[in-house]
Amino acid sequence: MLSIALSELVQIFRNRLVLVTSLVMPAAVSAFFVYRHEVFAALGSLGYIAAVVMFTVGAFGLYTTTVTTLASRRQNLFLKRLRSTAAGDTGILSGLLLPITVISLVQVAVIMTVLAVATGEPDNILLLAAAVLSMVIMMLGLGLATAGVTNSPEHAQVTTLPISIGTITVASWVGITGTEELALLKRLLPGGSATELVVNAWNGGVPVTDSLILLVPTLGWVIVAVALASRIFRWEPRR
Amino acid sequence: MTWSHCPVSAAAAEINGMSSTPVIDVERLNLAYGDFHAVKDLSFQVERGELYALLGTNGAGKTSTLETIEGHRTATSGTVRVFGQSPRDRHAVRPRMGIMLQDSGFSPDLTVKESVRLIGKLTRRTDTVERVLSVVNLTRKAGTKVSQLSGGEKRRLDFATAVYGTPELIFLDEPTTGLDIQSRDDLWDTVGKLREAGSTVVLTTHYLEEAQQHADRIGLMHKGAFYREGTVSELTRTLPAAIRFSLPATAPAPPLQAMRESDGKFLIETFGLQKDLHTLLRWAQDHAVELGELQAGPTRLDDVFRAIGSD
Repeated sequence: MLSIALSELVQIFRNRLVLVTSLVMPAAVSAFFVYRHEVFAALGSLGYIAAVVMFTVGAFGLYTTTVTTLASRRQNLFLKRLRSTAAGDTGILSGLLLPITVISLVQVAVIMTVLAVATGEPDNILLLAAAVLSMVIMMLGLGLATAGVTNSPEHAQVTTLPISIGTITVASWVGITGTEELALLKRLLPGGSATELVVNAWNGGVPVTDSLILLVPTLGWVIVAVALASRIFRWEPRR
Repeated sequence: MTWSHCPVSAAAAEINGMSSTPVIDVERLNLAYGDFHAVKDLSFQVERGELYALLGTNGAGKTSTLETIEGHRTATSGTVRVFGQSPRDRHAVRPRMGIMLQDSGFSPDLTVKESVRLIGKLTRRTDTVERVLSVVNLTRKAGTKVSQLSGGEKRRLDFATAVYGTPELIFLDEPTTGLDIQSRDDLWDTVGKLREAGSTVVLTTHYLEEAQQHADRIGLMHKGAFYREGTVSELTRTLPAAIRFSLPATAPAPPLQAMRESDGKFLIETFGLQKDLHTLLRWAQDHAVELGELQAGPTRLDDVFRAIGSD
């Protein structure tokens, strides 16, 4: 797995398009949110900024790159090549997705640290970490499922739009309006409960036990995504 | 350049006591895609050290068969055993087999050296990148990105990963497509050395003369089943040899059962090539007739292949 991960890391840094979409663009958008934190905090809260930043990296960095990477490696038969070796399927997927996952986690950590330095520490760092991890797992699952219906990296520009735009929209909606109204709907939408969890972890004021329950819908999406991926993910292009 | 099987795979073979069992054992293999029955009740074995060529018409089912033996596909019914184990058990089987795919399948952003190192490491066989690159004459391209290689160089890279660590079983899917004549000779030279070291080879190719020259046995597929299977001589002896010649318009009628192919051109089909050729030459001498464009030769694999369509 580590040798695949290492080669994947090399490929990310050699491919300018992937480098820009997975690293530069999310970082730039997040930097803007942090730089104008007073405006966005007034619109929602500091927790809202943290949630939007997290989903910007998660959607445009992690999720989109996951789909693009898998579609690309399948299209040029690299997946088939890897499966011609002694490596197992789980090891292959883990190796391919490990670099972008680590990069995304580091990005989120750095951006949130900068936000904390600029605005003050979050109320509950462990809860925040749990929220970030649940978001990462959900996005990886959704990425695997979306890769199943994506024929090529070019096609990924279309197939990734509903979930990437959708989760950021949901994060903004929940982050700005809260969950006092339409709570069930907001929590069941992908990204809704994770956003509320981040807002609670950053702003405080909500018992930890109440917040932890919010992990359930996110993990529910993980189960749905993995179930979908196991049915529709393909290792070779359609003939 | 010396070739020897990597210690891990050789030891595994010894422990499993596989030396007498066939390397590949296919029993009543069926493969269906929806209503389309790609492979029908196919059975064959490949013995240790053999070079077995799987040939066939387009859509005959040879790629499906090959990919099932490699472990890329699941059989609809029937059994496939490689080294006595399921080819789907990658952990057990793949370290002992090298696969040269029909299409490249390398990442364009990695260099030649990085590609061989990655795939070589994942095969769990022992070898060095430098040695394998020198075998396929790609040493000078070690630092070149795959995207900058020519088609022939990509095939050689593919071959390099297949022979990394001298596997006991090697699958060569269209290995010489896109290669120049020198590279082809080099590839077959390397395959010869691997066979001397005891490797078993399964080949698919559209170059029938290569199969005729190198294969110990051939499975000729048509519409999902074997049309013929056996050694080259077993396959070709079922069809007559051909003697072709032309005669001037004034010449008398030729002997034997000569068929007129076109104006002045004749064909004799025979299972006794030497005897009938002698008869023809003696007739020409006796009648002072010059045989133009005289060609005589045993049946070739091409002729067996063409006979598929006429059956």
